[in-house]
Amino acid sequence: MADNCSDEFEKENNKEKKTSQLTPQRGFHENDDDDDDDDDDDSSETDSEEDDDDEEHGAPLEGAYDPADYEHLPVSAEIKELFQYISRYTPQLIDLDHKLKPFIPDFIPAVGDIDAFLKVPRPDGKPDNLGLLVLDEPSTKQSDPTVLSLWLTENSKQHNITQHMKVKSLEDAEKNPKAIDTWIESISELHRSKPPATVHYTRPMPDIDTLMQEWSPEFEALLGKVSLPTAEMDCSLAEYIDMICAILDIPVYRSRIQSLHLLFSLYSEFKNSQHFKALAEGKKVFTPPSSSTFQVGEAEALTLS
Amino acid sequence: MMLSRAKPAVGGEPPQTNKRKKKGRKIPKLEELLSQRDFTGALTLLEFKRHVGEQEEDTNLWIGYCAFHLGDYKRALEEYENATKEENCNPEVWVNLACTYFFLGMYQQAEAAGFKAPKSRLQNRLLFHLAHKFNDEKKLMNFHQNLQDITEDQLSLASIHYMRSHYQEAIDIYKRILLDNREYLALNVYVALCYYKLDYYDVSQEVLAVYLQQIPDSTIALNLKACNHFRLYNGKAAETELKSLMDSAPSSFEFAKELIKHNLVVFRGGEGALQVLPPLVDVIPEARLNLVIYYLRQDDVQEAYNLIKDLEPTTPQEYILKGVVNAALGQEMGSRDHMKIAQQFFQLVGGSASECDTIPGRQCMASCFFLLKQFDDVLIYLNSFKSYFYNDDIFNFNYAQAKAATGNTSEGEEVFLLIQNEKLKNDYIYLSWLARCYIMNKKPRLAWELYLKMETSGESFSLLQLIANDCYKMGQFYYSAKAFDVLERLDPNPEYWEGKRGACVGIFQMILAGREPKETLREVLHLLRSTGNTQVEYIIRIMKKWAKENRVPV
Repeated sequence: MADNCSDEFEKENNKEKKTSQLTPQRGFHENDDDDDDDDDDDSSETDSEEDDDDEEHGAPLEGAYDPADYEHLPVSAEIKELFQYISRYTPQLIDLDHKLKPFIPDFIPAVGDIDAFLKVPRPDGKPDNLGLLVLDEPSTKQSDPTVLSLWLTENSKQHNITQHMKVKSLEDAEKNPKAIDTWIESISELHRSKPPATVHYTRPMPDIDTLMQEWSPEFEALLGKVSLPTAEMDCSLAEYIDMICAILDIPVYRSRIQSLHLLFSLYSEFKNSQHFKALAEGKKVFTPPSSSTFQVGEAEALTLS
Repeated sequence: MMLSRAKPAVGGEPPQTNKRKKKGRKIPKLEELLSQRDFTGALTLLEFKRHVGEQEEDTNLWIGYCAFHLGDYKRALEEYENATKEENCNPEVWVNLACTYFFLGMYQQAEAAGFKAPKSRLQNRLLFHLAHKFNDEKKLMNFHQNLQDITEDQLSLASIHYMRSHYQEAIDIYKRILLDNREYLALNVYVALCYYKLDYYDVSQEVLAVYLQQIPDSTIALNLKACNHFRLYNGKAAETELKSLMDSAPSSFEFAKELIKHNLVVFRGGEGALQVLPPLVDVIPEARLNLVIYYLRQDDVQEAYNLIKDLEPTTPQEYILKGVVNAALGQEMGSRDHMKIAQQFFQLVGGSASECDTIPGRQCMASCFFLLKQFDDVLIYLNSFKSYFYNDDIFNFNYAQAKAATGNTSEGEEVFLLIQNEKLKNDYIYLSWLARCYIMNKKPRLAWELYLKMETSGESFSLLQLIANDCYKMGQFYYSAKAFDVLERLDPNPEYWEGKRGACVGIFQMILAGREPKETLREVLHLLRSTGNTQVEYIIRIMKKWAKENRVPV
């Protein structure tokens, strides 16, 4: 009975059959309900094999148990009968699931896209050759905007325009000593180029406060009548300097440069003094020379705006 | 043979910082900064001039120009938007605004602004690319026809080829232009990008070297070099290349920063993926794919699926990844629909002319046949590239199953034992197939030990059934009897008694045949006695009788 029934029938009835069935090595499918797919596939395979021989199913099982191998054993009838129990149980053919572990691709680096020539041209219409001679990318050596701004301010001779300066900050500063070094280097370079904040005179000079003291009343009265000598005077620049310094109690030594520095410092002091601001005539703007080498020619760098 | 004229007029000059140091207070001119592509400097200079009122004509446009080429499109947008609001604004500004919108990914606005601009080559190129973005083939063809045989138009066309994965067509254009214009060095980088995409990493390196020789600190070129190293060697080699790039650029250098951050995650095998990649999704196309790969590696299939489910695949990489995610999810949920989709995507990629001979392509074919359970075909493909994956657990997991499924249990066992990953080794698929291999290879004791190491569960019960029946079939009655004995205790199903009865008699037969030591009989009797069945006494009586006759102590 078992031999002739169809595969499907077998599957449905395998539970009852097993007890009655004595056919050796007759495999059958265990019907896993969660795996209909397998069964479909397998049954179609089995169908074709069915034509040849039922034993076919056990064919790949090399070395499977074959009761015929033990028929020759010289045993009593009793034991021989006992051996029947071996074939009375037919081991189930247990279908195992398969699981594809998909091949997970490697991570994919990004290389970016190719220049599509959708780029704004120079406002003056000149060719910039970006994307042709060189890639259209900023060079890795970019100016530091803060440092450049400081340079520009320094050079523009206008000191009242720095209020918009952005304060630069550095993330993870402890991990970035290079950035800090670069910053320190560029700022000290900037400072090196500035004139020193104070000038140490090599010869004794009176201090500014002394020089700012009022003249004697007689002298003041005289000034009401005669004006100070102007640059129109028929004398050399050097003589004129000596003259003015003398009037202002500024000593002149071999070189006039330090004397002139004191002279202009005095002028600057008066100019920036709130007290004298009201007295100041017009709006004279004094720009301190930005070079540390104080040229005589530059002494006339008093600009009127 | 290098033509000296190939040296570009701009770039490649001695470092400017030294020059400035020596001259101290020298303030750079705009033209100078632009020729060094120091757009940050140029921008600072222009803004300073504007601030102190030294404004010249078109300062706003120059600022826009500098910001644009610096890659600061938001800043450029600000200038151009303001410029278009001015009265008597130069209509050409509209096309600049449109380009800026384009790079900000604001394609609708880009198109609107583009149409306000007067007709120009640039405008046509922009609309051409927009048509590509909008997937509007008809418009694409229209604007394509308007392209002329001038360098910029041809290069723009080449970049469309590149984006549509038509790399050979792009290379043809570049090579044609290079033939007449050897000085166009940048084109070498474009060619190198194409070769990279075609998986010709060696060739890519060679072409790229031409450019790097002249401009050794180019961000784009060094990044590509790193990517080539990643493909040719490994992540470490690639990271070294990127490191030199990061060291040479100041920390404030924003250009391509996202690209570099993205690639560092890639080169470091996914390290930092969750911090870096999510904000880059839809900014860098690869970011989404890499995040999916990351989730897959973490076995978070659902999260991977959520990220990729709405992606319309266009590249082989995208098809593969969609296939992988569907295969993983389909098997996890037992969904035939997902498995079907996976199998179709795998077939599509594996069968394509461009991928059929690549390893990913063959992996696809192997996966496809695996899902179809055609294991002979699976083996053909896996064998073709197994030398690359000797120590790969995933490969071996699939390979061993295919071996075992085709009846080659001895090699199946060998390959299963190569697997190191603990999670895979505890997978029931692994345990059950390895147990079967052991039994078929006449090592039932090892199969039994697999069972002993398992926690009691549905799976351990299934494994017992496997051992009981497979051992029975193979005449390894001792372990079959032991397995049936446990099964019988767990579930008093008469079937298990029948199995145990047969197996115990089987051991007896083996003892008689001299294939089992006689001493085992004592254990057999013990196993039998644990069942309260009437047949037990009958069987024991016969066995004992034999033992007595043959002086076997029981």
